[in-house]
Amino acid sequence: MDYIITTEKLTKRYKNFTSVKNVSLHIRKGSIYGFLGPNGAGKSTTMKMLLGLTAPTKGSFTIDGKHFPEDRLTILKEIGSFIESPSFYANLTGRENLDIIRKILQLPPKSVDEALDLVGLTEFGDRLAKKYSLGMKQRLGLAGALLGQPPILVLDEPTNGLDPSGIHEIRNLVKSLPALYDCTVLISSHMLSEIELMADDIGVLNHGRLLFEGSLDSLRQNALQAGFAADNLEELFLSMIEKDNAARKQRAQL
Amino acid sequence: MSMLAIELQKEKRTGIIPVLLAVGVLGAAYAFLNFLVRKDTLLNLPLAPMDVLLTQLYGMIMILNMFGIIVAACMIYNMEFKGNAVKKIYMLPTSVAGMYLCKFFILTFFLLVAIIIQNTALAQIGIKDLPAGTFEMGELIVFTAYSFLTSMPVLSFMLLISSRFENMWVPLGVGVAGFLSGMALATAKAPLLMVHPFVVMLKPAVAMSAQWDNAVALVAVAETLVFLVAGVWMSKQLRYE
Repeated sequence: MDYIITTEKLTKRYKNFTSVKNVSLHIRKGSIYGFLGPNGAGKSTTMKMLLGLTAPTKGSFTIDGKHFPEDRLTILKEIGSFIESPSFYANLTGRENLDIIRKILQLPPKSVDEALDLVGLTEFGDRLAKKYSLGMKQRLGLAGALLGQPPILVLDEPTNGLDPSGIHEIRNLVKSLPALYDCTVLISSHMLSEIELMADDIGVLNHGRLLFEGSLDSLRQNALQAGFAADNLEELFLSMIEKDNAARKQRAQL
Repeated sequence: MSMLAIELQKEKRTGIIPVLLAVGVLGAAYAFLNFLVRKDTLLNLPLAPMDVLLTQLYGMIMILNMFGIIVAACMIYNMEFKGNAVKKIYMLPTSVAGMYLCKFFILTFFLLVAIIIQNTALAQIGIKDLPAGTFEMGELIVFTAYSFLTSMPVLSFMLLISSRFENMWVPLGVGVAGFLSGMALATAKAPLLMVHPFVVMLKPAVAMSAQWDNAVALVAVAETLVFLVAGVWMSKQLRYE
């Protein structure tokens, strides 16, 4: 199998709290990988480790055959990312913000207009970013990630703060990206219903542990075997989390 | 070079460059006005005319420069923290240490411009108002270099502080505390007090002669480099969380 991102027992431990524990991910090239888990499951921390924003306590990972920290700049050149809340220069317009990123990535000037167009921000491009609504800031963050059509996209809950039509629009955009630009997308969410509509493969994380990794079809099969209706993955997801939480409680009591 | 251009582009609408230019213009205006009003009093002081020109006006000009540096240094990092912009920079293939250096160069350049504006005004006053044959351009140039050099530790220190605190009031408070403690300690004789960057900047203002002091200049260069190296090193340790 041609994996573009692999992690090997990735672990992140803070003083007395383990945020990510022995997570081994396998993300296929050209796929959309849905990273699923409740709030605080360790999705963002895992993504931050992949971007070199925080160092793993244990374990390793490779991105397109390259390693952190030796190949940090080469890896970042290949990744478009959007982590947590949108980041922008409040004193600059949306277009100027993207122009800063464009210059750092050494892309042609037209790429800014293309990115604005892609996220539907063209008519607001010359407005100061601090005057954007939350949804517009979210779109600006996405435009920054999509700038230059990077081969890998790491998107952390990109639909947060968007209205239903915005969510639908961004979902369709993310879905179309692998076919359009031949890119791989790692997208996180705490809603299976959302990931289900986009992802080819999914990884389910709870309290820093990977509970499931595989294709949506294999998750459906698991659902059937566990006695759930195959079209009701949400319930399977919730029961996986509940089961794991109960097991954790039991382990803690012992 | 492209990094410097990017950094200058980021500064748009922040007021950093206008603040430092305004400090230069205000300092020049103060020198003109002061000499216009107090010319006779100043020239009757028991000091050489060049010392009068360079030391008697420098106190206020230096305070303007000091506050200009404090405010500009606070703003230059506040724009990075305000919309979490610096977090996006951490995810891009660019050097965060290089960004720090560019900010240092931008502040240094515009402080130099401000000091040149102020000293051009002093040159005008010297040529026009000092007794004939007493104005020395060489001495003015040396004093300009000396005042610039002694201002650099505060610039380097304030940039380091502002890069470490997301809340702009913290570096601003540190700057004001530095100014007040510097004022209290500037006339003290103990050489050890020169580790205080604000004391170094105040030294030419409390001296009665405009002579270049090698010890002060040396301390200024050393402190500037120490704070700069510390700032560059710290900026390499990404603080995302």
